[in-house]
Amino acid sequence: MYTAALPASVVELTETLSALPGIGPKTASRLAFFLLRGKSELALRLAEALKGLVERTRFCSICYNVTEADPCPICTNPARNQRMVCVVEEPLDLLALERTDQYHGVYHVLHGALSPMEGVFAEDLRINELEARIRRGDVEEVILATNPTSEGDYTAAYLLQRLKPLGVRITRLGRGLPMGGDLEYADAVTLMRALESRQEL
Amino acid sequence: MHIRSLSLRQFRTYNRLELDLPASPVLLLGANAQGKTSLLEAIAYLAVGRSPLTNTDQHLIHWRAVESAMPFAHLKTEVIHRNHADLIEIALEQKTLANGGTRLEKQIKLNQHTIRQMDLAGHLNVVVFLPEDVELVSGAPSGRRRFLDDLLSQVYPAYVESLGEYQTALSRRNALLRHLRDFGGDAAQLAPLEETLVQTGVTLSLYRRRVVKALAFYADRLHHDLTGGAAWLQIQYQPNFDPLRPPAVDYQIGLLPETESESPVDLDTLYEAYRKTLHAQRRIEIDRGMTLTGPHRDELRFISDGVDMGTFGSRGQQRTVVLALRLAELRWLEQETRESPVLLLDEVLAELDRARRTYLLNLLGNVEQTILCTTDVEMFPESFREKTLLLEVAEGIIRRK
Ligand SMILES: [Zn+2]
Repeated sequence: MYTAALPASVVELTETLSALPGIGPKTASRLAFFLLRGKSELALRLAEALKGLVERTRFCSICYNVTEADPCPICTNPARNQRMVCVVEEPLDLLALERTDQYHGVYHVLHGALSPMEGVFAEDLRINELEARIRRGDVEEVILATNPTSEGDYTAAYLLQRLKPLGVRITRLGRGLPMGGDLEYADAVTLMRALESRQEL
Repeated sequence: MHIRSLSLRQFRTYNRLELDLPASPVLLLGANAQGKTSLLEAIAYLAVGRSPLTNTDQHLIHWRAVESAMPFAHLKTEVIHRNHADLIEIALEQKTLANGGTRLEKQIKLNQHTIRQMDLAGHLNVVVFLPEDVELVSGAPSGRRRFLDDLLSQVYPAYVESLGEYQTALSRRNALLRHLRDFGGDAAQLAPLEETLVQTGVTLSLYRRRVVKALAFYADRLHHDLTGGAAWLQIQYQPNFDPLRPPAVDYQIGLLPETESESPVDLDTLYEAYRKTLHAQRRIEIDRGMTLTGPHRDELRFISDGVDMGTFGSRGQQRTVVLALRLAELRWLEQETRESPVLLLDEVLAELDRARRTYLLNLLGNVEQTILCTTDVEMFPESFREKTLLLEVAEGIIRRK
């Protein structure tokens, strides 16, 4: 591009921003110049936030949600039912379920769904960790809350087949969620109904 | 059924077209590359949401529109049925993404409500007959499978749904097989995909078996007539996986007339047999990195007087087979939907001799609406032209003649 006319630090920021999902080169340079022209606190606050993200957060060693304290506040909350585990694809799905205020169990975050065409296989997800957690014997019910998409259904079917022999109760979120959508975008009422109408598999 | 009106914006060579059509034969007249075939393509596209000529919907947008800031194409038709009318619309819009790539958005509407592509089934049925259709007989098996898919998709939304699920599960299973071969992993990941292949594959196979049986019945009689009583035609569906029968023997020429086993088999038995086969094949298929069993490898064969027309038929014989097949398709659609489909014929008369041409034109008397394309009006007898609306096509503009 016309990078020769720009200082290296601006080029560096633009290129880094455009590596983010949903941000093309145009948006990246617009953001870079916005930060450059704007008050310097904003850029510094962003830098601090990013630094904090990398240095202070990690995955919970029990549920693999993003957390600053390990185990996470959900896994250590005595008011929650630690024997009921809701399996979700992403941390954002967990947040959507938390918004319902109706779920009092704990979670397990897979960090994706099976998608062989995109190169995502069982070993790329936190499935071994889920199995180990159940084998430790402290789980009564597993709620499969993968997205109501073709990948989500495939993942749920695979999990069912793998976890059923462990003798744990396995349920799947009820229908009523729009097919093809993500949990993350479902409204709280719909999600609550899907939870209540979950079916034993 | 028939098409009362057709409206096109930025579709292929048509910048803008508004056309009213009668419930009678319509003859489109014009030199090559003026837009005759595109008009038939537009109608076929409105019927199933898929072009008979291309798999790339982007190609359907007018070339000049593609260069504009917001490329789009819009197609609309009003279809008259016996007791009601349907308004079908398809809009294509090419969106530019932030990363510089493009994405085509496709919206299908029926009577002003957005619908899924599969729900187009039954609202406009067409039989398209193109000069290159001879490839159906002589070409690769994939063309024959697509023929069955396109025909069944016009009538049964359930078929479209099963086909989509089957193809997704197949691509996933193939990707997984290659991964297991190259990197290892849990082979149990195959099972849910195999279950989808089993459920949808049996559905596809049963529908195909049924339609081929009916087509074979009609085509046999038609072929006999078209050859002046000289040759019968057998159409054989050869499912790649057929639990109803022992594994197919690979015949050379002199094919044995097969007797269809009619013993009713319940679905669970079919599922179980298919499931076992896929499971037993795993090791071989992991080595090969692909799924070798299933309806994606079905075959359809045309046999006349004991000779496979695909391999040993002359060009002329193959044309006759295709004509019989297309007309059988017309009969089957009439039978199945209790309505006459719209017949679209592109330049096919030019390739037929006088006797077959006369036979075909006589048959058109029973079809509610036929739209034909030709470069040479002289090919049609005076008596036919009298009953026909003549339209002249030049550079994407249509005039009444
Ligand atoms: Zn946790």
